[in-house]
Amino acid sequence: MAIPKYKTSSVDLDECIERLYKKELLAESVIEAICNKLKEQLMSESNVVQIMAPVTVVGDIHGQFFDMLEIFKIAGYCPDTNYLFLGDYVDRGLFSVETISLLVCLKLRWPSRVYLIRGNHESRGVTQSYGFYTECSRKYGSANVWRHFTDMFDFLTLSVVINNDIFCVHGGLSPSIHSIDQIKVIDRFREIPHEGPMADLVWSDPDPDRDEFSLSPRGAGYTFGAQVVKKFLEVNNQSHILRAHQLCQEGYQLLFDGLLSTVWSAPNYCYRCGNLASVLEVDYDGPRYYNVFEAAPENSEHRDAAAAQQQDTGAVVEYFL
Amino acid sequence: MSRSPPLQTAPNIDVGKSITRGDWKVTTHKLPILNSTEIEAMTTALGISPPEMIFGNNSVDVTNEKLNWSISFNALDALELVDKSGESMLKVSYSEAWQKMRERVHEDIKEIVKPYDWTYTTNYQGTVHSSDRPFQQTGSEIPFDKLKRPDPILLFDDVVLYEDELADNGISILSVKIRVMPERLLILQRFFMRLDGVLFRLRDTRLFIEFETGEIVKQYQAREDTYANVRSGLYMHPPEQIPSLLRDDSFIAERLPVIEMERERVLLG
Repeated sequence: MAIPKYKTSSVDLDECIERLYKKELLAESVIEAICNKLKEQLMSESNVVQIMAPVTVVGDIHGQFFDMLEIFKIAGYCPDTNYLFLGDYVDRGLFSVETISLLVCLKLRWPSRVYLIRGNHESRGVTQSYGFYTECSRKYGSANVWRHFTDMFDFLTLSVVINNDIFCVHGGLSPSIHSIDQIKVIDRFREIPHEGPMADLVWSDPDPDRDEFSLSPRGAGYTFGAQVVKKFLEVNNQSHILRAHQLCQEGYQLLFDGLLSTVWSAPNYCYRCGNLASVLEVDYDGPRYYNVFEAAPENSEHRDAAAAQQQDTGAVVEYFL
Repeated sequence: MSRSPPLQTAPNIDVGKSITRGDWKVTTHKLPILNSTEIEAMTTALGISPPEMIFGNNSVDVTNEKLNWSISFNALDALELVDKSGESMLKVSYSEAWQKMRERVHEDIKEIVKPYDWTYTTNYQGTVHSSDRPFQQTGSEIPFDKLKRPDPILLFDDVVLYEDELADNGISILSVKIRVMPERLLILQRFFMRLDGVLFRLRDTRLFIEFETGEIVKQYQAREDTYANVRSGLYMHPPEQIPSLLRDDSFIAERLPVIEMERERVLLG
């Protein structure tokens, strides 16, 4: 495949997008250029981006490229549909590079119609363990592309507020953050730390059986309960918390009497979980519609590749001992 | 644009495979992860949160009705054996630093969510139903020479029972492989756990059945080593290969010393 060389100053975004919709890889020099451009653009985004509905909110994708294309088929293409992505674009799936390449191009092309929040997988540490690093090295012959993407991840915003009313984040709440204004002063242009409010926003999970913050048995990280959610919404004059980060078989889950929702957008996660996925469509005046979908049929063509990669579960007959 | 209505059921990956050899029947089920109602029920039954990916409807079953003997490998029974006292709790590698930082900032939060072994380590060896034939300790090995023959494989499956990413601090997975040949079968249930910066763990249960004689041999093996030891043993591998090697349970298994070994046998015939 002949990949045309681009000068860093003259990337044709429309052409890149067209290629990526066909699942063609961009050249390394192009990746470097678009990541640098996006960093410049994201510099001016606040840690709390205010946007207005209508917008379609997407949860974890994890490199399931065909399922992301399915989302565009179901909920509309850019720029006809506005999108807010809640993070975890890479790792686990087979096509993290294609997925994040396309999202970067879409964000550059329509900056005020596409928003990308940082997830806990948009990090150097985590991507080395869960596949993105390995995929970049395999598809490009070196870790350069991984370096360009992960450097760019440091610039992604941490949260979005829709219609002054719906607070959106990848993981959840933090005991260090009572007011949304406290998020605005976080120095986010760095690797995700192990502790502190920035870590909590991308890591924490709700616990419907509790009221307050609790420590995870793992020795790091928090879960947040019903009273925490109520108080946060009250203090900040919000009506709902919208987050991703947790796999759910139904594709979405409502907790705390509907005050918080989890949106999960990777159907048949890891090509074996058999779960549904959803995107959440937020209308002009606020009503929310969970658009549930199944894994894209194109995935089956790549089943063998998936099986080979996921060596624990590949259905390839073997004489194990 | 038309919108499809919400779907009620998830697609089944596999509705079940089955084979019969003489009086022996083997069945495997591969179904979607549990839904929220099923997870709630399991949480109540276990008293702890199940792993992130919980295949509670998956199983591998071997039954001999005539001999009134069966063994089943399933997630619920495996999770029953996970430590729920909090006594064998591991901590993630950065836990100490995290705790220090946290104590300065949020001294008031002291409650730990149900302390339990969140790595879901289990010494589960399958669930046996038998009226009167218990396994006995034995010195004899599984006859691997018979298993090395290139006999046709009539049924093969690889069934995951549960998996957890340990909140991105590694991996914990329990899976069962089975292969059925004309005269015998072999099951390998493997628990593999990597806690980054801390520990590797492996718990293998191998079950061999000779159909004709009704001889069953079970071998349980625990292997374990520190992360540092395993990592330093990989110095000769190129750095870009290391992450995928650390995910490869077969590769890691050979590098972990055996810390526990049990062999049991029962003759049903």
